[in-house]
Amino acid sequence: SGELYCSLPNPRNVHFESINMKNVLHWSAPEGTGDGVLYKVKYAVYGVGKWIRKPECRNINRTWCDLSSETSDYEEQYYASVKAFLNGTCSVWMETTRFNPLTDTKIDPPMISVSSTDKSISIILTAPEKWKRSPEEESISLLQVYPGLQYNVSVLNKKTKKRWFFSINNNTLVVPWLEPGTVYCVSAQIHVTTPVLDSSFSKEHCIATLKDK
Amino acid sequence: GACRVSMSMTEIRAGFTAIKANIQSRDPIRTLSILSHPQSLHKVKSSDRCCITHHLFTFYVDKVFKHCRTEDSFVNRKISSIANSFLSARRKLGQCREQNNCVCGEESTEKFKQILANYEGLNVTSAAMKSLGELDILLDWMEKSR
Amino acid sequence: DALLPAPQSISILSTNMKHFLTWSPVIVQGATVRYSVEFQGEYEREYANGSWIPISECSLTTATVCNVTEDISATVAYRLRVRAELGATRSPWGTMKGFFNRVTTSLTPPLLRVLADGYHLLVELADMGPAFQFRVLYWKKGHESRVQQKVMKEVSSMVHLDTMEAGAEYCVKAQTHVEAINRSSSFSPTQCVRAQRDTSGWWL
Repeated sequence: SGELYCSLPNPRNVHFESINMKNVLHWSAPEGTGDGVLYKVKYAVYGVGKWIRKPECRNINRTWCDLSSETSDYEEQYYASVKAFLNGTCSVWMETTRFNPLTDTKIDPPMISVSSTDKSISIILTAPEKWKRSPEEESISLLQVYPGLQYNVSVLNKKTKKRWFFSINNNTLVVPWLEPGTVYCVSAQIHVTTPVLDSSFSKEHCIATLKDK
Repeated sequence: GACRVSMSMTEIRAGFTAIKANIQSRDPIRTLSILSHPQSLHKVKSSDRCCITHHLFTFYVDKVFKHCRTEDSFVNRKISSIANSFLSARRKLGQCREQNNCVCGEESTEKFKQILANYEGLNVTSAAMKSLGELDILLDWMEKSR
Repeated sequence: DALLPAPQSISILSTNMKHFLTWSPVIVQGATVRYSVEFQGEYEREYANGSWIPISECSLTTATVCNVTEDISATVAYRLRVRAELGATRSPWGTMKGFFNRVTTSLTPPLLRVLADGYHLLVELADMGPAFQFRVLYWKKGHESRVQQKVMKEVSSMVHLDTMEAGAEYCVKAQTHVEAINRSSSFSPTQCVRAQRDTSGWWL
């Protein structure tokens, strides 16, 4: 059927929100439209000649659509587009800017596990995994996606309030010769040099060195 | 031997990121690409990388940048910065090629021909602006294969 | 236009990859003279018909200095020019003699602070911008043959270098390195600190 005459205001701010390459399309409802607006979504691989409809996001009333599966190849770039419908009329298709999963995703902080002896603490860092379709699917660490990935680690002596920074490439750090019976708080950040991508610092993990024997 | 050119990718990447949205918004054609379809840089064999990189630097210096002048002074300055960085990098890569016999295999020659065909298939300003808007495709590929 | 002379003594001051174009003021009694600056890289000379690109931050400025760092952002030979403007009157362009390539920037040693915190050797370096890396050398005093090195990029604050032997003295010096021009500064003066002595009770 021919396209309806589209006089409905357009969906606004159509954009991807991406964390660890979980790529979700978001938009705001057209201005001045109350409830009852429905939406359709389509996407395109940049440079490939066709737009593809997303069936799971056909006639939906929410304002987001998970396109992670469709945009999981980070060697490609993508566009997505949204159209609104209300009471027999519609908006025009509203597109995102070009989305590059490799540079436009945000990265979560690393996971930290900390253990201690009386004079040292050992820190093991784990980079987040790339989004995957199902738990059964093989995991890909962001370390494999970004070979230049490094960790910035902050260690705070809660007694002296002094904070030290370490910059490491591998994922383990042992800090020896510490004060026994003292609380140290550790937090870490991921730093990718090119493209420039930094996670935020993780939540602090505090641990006490054992008291002197 | 490998042609490892220490090139300040960070500066080029920063320059491109500053104008990416502006440049890509000037390219309305979603269904065509210069660098990534039908062939993909990511399928280039490692032995051909040096040759393809040199070809692409020459392509951008000779064909692309000069047709990308805009009405926006900030964008023009960033394009100048990128163009001069490419010129500097191509010179180093050129020196490297002479010493290191940067082989051009049949496959990479074919791939580069396809890139030129994609480029020639559009009018020059559209082709140049599209190519400039795809600089992150080139940078992503170069960084991945460093 | 010939009434307004071109600016003279045009030169570049470049330190630690920050580049400033300066020139002598054009004096017109009772009037405020303004200036505009343009640059031309090797690309513009060889591939863009020798075109010049204006620097908007230094268009119609009353200052006689212009920060051209953002535009001199490739390691090629650049030319720079300035002209004076008074109302609708413009002077001829005054062009800097010769070329400027950022490879000639002068690199100063980094500002370095070395601390011992218990048995830990720490260093604090002043940030010098994204183009800079820091090469930090450290050794146990008296063991100059066994120097260790750490290369750092981002230097937010107190960076941990190493753990020290109880009571021993350790020395540190650092230099900057700029990958874009493949040059390094001279070393900072050496600073030495002493690790905490062996306090009984800690190590029994």
